[in-house]
Amino acid sequence: MIAEFIDGPLWTFSLAVFVIGVTWRIVTILMAGNRQDLSTPRGSASSGAIRTIFSRSLYERTAATRGRLLQIAGYLFHLGLFALLFFAQPHIDFYAERITGFGWPAMPHWAFIVSTELAFLGLLLLWIHRLLSPVTRLLSDLDDHLGTILVFLVMLTGCLALAQSFEALRLIHLLLAELLLIYFPFSKLMHTFTFVMSRGYTGAAMGRKGVNA
Amino acid sequence: MIRQTIPPGSIGVYALAWSLLLLWLLLLPQQSLAETKQARGLPPPAVLNPAADLWRDIRQRDMPTTGTTQVRGVDSGVLINANGDTWRKFRMEQLIPVAGYLLLGMIVVLILFYTIRGKVKIEGGAADKKLPRYTSYERLIHWFMASIFIFLAITGLIILFGRPLLIPIFGKEIFAVIASASKEGHNLMGPLFMVALILVFIKFVRRNIYQKGDLSWLLRGGGIIGKKHVPSNFFNMGEKSMFWMLIIVGSVIVVSGLMLIFPIFGQSREWMELAHVGHAIGAILMITVIMGHIYIGSVGMEGAIEGMKTGYCDLNWAKEHHDYWASQMEKRGEAIPNEAVNRFSDPDTNKFLGRELEEPGK
Repeated sequence: MIAEFIDGPLWTFSLAVFVIGVTWRIVTILMAGNRQDLSTPRGSASSGAIRTIFSRSLYERTAATRGRLLQIAGYLFHLGLFALLFFAQPHIDFYAERITGFGWPAMPHWAFIVSTELAFLGLLLLWIHRLLSPVTRLLSDLDDHLGTILVFLVMLTGCLALAQSFEALRLIHLLLAELLLIYFPFSKLMHTFTFVMSRGYTGAAMGRKGVNA
Repeated sequence: MIRQTIPPGSIGVYALAWSLLLLWLLLLPQQSLAETKQARGLPPPAVLNPAADLWRDIRQRDMPTTGTTQVRGVDSGVLINANGDTWRKFRMEQLIPVAGYLLLGMIVVLILFYTIRGKVKIEGGAADKKLPRYTSYERLIHWFMASIFIFLAITGLIILFGRPLLIPIFGKEIFAVIASASKEGHNLMGPLFMVALILVFIKFVRRNIYQKGDLSWLLRGGGIIGKKHVPSNFFNMGEKSMFWMLIIVGSVIVVSGLMLIFPIFGQSREWMELAHVGHAIGAILMITVIMGHIYIGSVGMEGAIEGMKTGYCDLNWAKEHHDYWASQMEKRGEAIPNEAVNRFSDPDTNKFLGRELEEPGK
């Protein structure tokens, strides 16, 4: 009964909330528009936007010593999570069966394990730092911690279900993933999509002023 | 927007919660012993294996059990692994009961110690100054290792004690799920412990080299017995010894764990059995010692965990427990008024913010 609910209606509902919610958030941001800038442009806003979208993902050499580990942890978490989310065989099989109708080449099992290890390493370091540093602790609110906890639990239950031998473990993993999907559009996890707009906006503003920022 | 920040002390609360969970798990070996004894008293199963006599004869005959075969692979020429039974008996009849007694014994010792000695207070009371003790990075890698260790300890104890303990509670089907989850989680998180161990070793090794004053600390019982405090360096000899145990036993655990997770380097069954024994003994030893570490940090000593939580420790606490280091720091003018250790500062930024707060208006 519960299993059927998690596998069926709850999955459909959570996916719908995720898709509609994310679309709604993005559309509202795009519809908000910009105030017209009447100043004489000193550079290209478009190239500034594109440059900033990518350049902000590059390693920042000028970061303080203690910031370097966090940059590396950020890379580990995001790249590791991306790899295991889209290139792990069990996930590809799931997407093919439930969403796309087709699959794509998966990474080898050892790479799947390494990606998971790296993602955990990065997430734990970032989360502990958030809790320990007086500055990040003060800047963090409930949303930050809820998002982190949900992502962590989804990853953890996925790792516990790695043997793929027990339906109960798969269902726990799926249930938490569904809760994450429902929570996603209402949280800061939206930065997965909105980082493009925020960086693009800043980059365009700076590019127009001729500032290389 | 809901704004609910995590208070500075919450990490300690989390650590305590995890520790209590661990302690609960550690209480379970009592049942394990009862179960093991009960199982021993049962008659042998009535299901007959027609090949049992044959294999028993092969194992017990006075001839080698290895030969040659065209099948290529580790141990492919071994007809029957006689050591497997020895290993199984050791695990069931010695390792599990002794490990259970050891862990229970440690809990009893800590409870007794707390009952007799109570919480070790800062005698002079909290000072109005603090000393920067650990940087953000040091605290980060400490708590990273602690998180991984607690997870591995819990899942490891489930794997070791779970079969005789959890089956009577949850039944076979649920235990199968718990055991599978624990095994997968343990195997996956295990390598992260290696990363933590390397980071901790690199960062803390210099301050953990034994030096003058350490031996006298040990000879005077580290101040545990009696009320007199014994001076020590940044780390006392107990902490240094725990560090070296962590590194040495931790390395054994890591290497044996890797041998068990990756049976692809040509290791034979005997090596695997040896790795298992080394892994289990090392882990039990380490859990026992870390229980003492958690005790001191949580309920055993006032001010002990402050350094790892906030980066600062109380000046009086430092003088009472790490006097050599505290004196040096005071001479260098590193003591900071409590007001300066505000919510924004940590040891990495204390100089900048500390000066600003000490001299307002400048």
